[in-house]
Amino acid sequence: MADPARIKPEDSPEKEGFTNDEHLKTDETEHEPEPETSADGSKEPSRQDRPRDLNTEGEAAAAADDEEEGTSGQPSAKRLKLEPEKKKEKRQKVDEDEIQKMQVLVSSFSEEQLNRYEMYRRSAFPKAAIKRLIQSITGSSVSQNVVIAMSGISKVFVGEIVEEALDVCEKWGETPPLQPKHMREAVRRLKSRDQIPNSKYKNMLFH
Amino acid sequence: MADEEDEPGFEEELDDGSGGLDAAGHGRRKRLFSKELRCMMYGFGDDQNPYTESVDILEDLVIEFITEMTHKAMSIGRQGRVQVEDIVFLIRKDPRKFARVKDLLTMNEELKRARKAFDEANYGS
Repeated sequence: MADPARIKPEDSPEKEGFTNDEHLKTDETEHEPEPETSADGSKEPSRQDRPRDLNTEGEAAAAADDEEEGTSGQPSAKRLKLEPEKKKEKRQKVDEDEIQKMQVLVSSFSEEQLNRYEMYRRSAFPKAAIKRLIQSITGSSVSQNVVIAMSGISKVFVGEIVEEALDVCEKWGETPPLQPKHMREAVRRLKSRDQIPNSKYKNMLFH
Repeated sequence: MADEEDEPGFEEELDDGSGGLDAAGHGRRKRLFSKELRCMMYGFGDDQNPYTESVDILEDLVIEFITEMTHKAMSIGRQGRVQVEDIVFLIRKDPRKFARVKDLLTMNEELKRARKAFDEANYGS
């Protein structure tokens, strides 16, 4: 995934729109009803919102990143210093291209695709529930970063299963919505690829 | 409906003291993520209205996943505690999850920095 953090900044006012970053999913589940209703209304303003959303996210993040770069990149142009800077510039360029491509892609989505993409970006597990779950297992408190990491990984996990189940569904010549048998077959396949952790049965000698 | 997960040990994890009935199996506790999982499934390609049974299966899988990761994280690094470094270590072999965690944590740091700078600017003026 492109790291939107490595883009050249524009204005600092853009930063303020940044507090509702989707990646952190602070109040996202509450925000869901709003975009839905606006999507039903006029399509133009909300469609422009989305690519702009990605942009402000990237630029604001880059603003913070650039400050750091400025202070460390100033001193004498030693050869050793140039190398990581060149790589960073290259990475920035690659990310810029990818961001632009994403914008072009998103701007050409149909309404149904836009809805789906919005759900994909905005859906997230509630932090409170995840924190409660982890704390009930450990018995001690956990830091915020742990909750962030765990919810992020869980979402990727759900994505892997759903995608595999869709493959299974298509292979069996059936249509969505996904049925439990697809899910079970997807889990079985992922297990055989070791993508699902299972620490219950460990004796695998000469399996 | 008996062998959804084929893991006899699974029911023990759901035991929250609400009764000794093991025959009911999964889902004895209240459904934690029903709404969010529905949106997620739609986002990942399923129908706009996924089947409730599929959502239930996914919820059980997610809870089991989190439980496993937590137990593993507790057993490595600093024992008895779950720290971010442990999670990152456990996930190192899976490129997608590893990249995602790195991105999320980086973004979080930058957001915190941006918020702090913004607050300081406000305070100054």
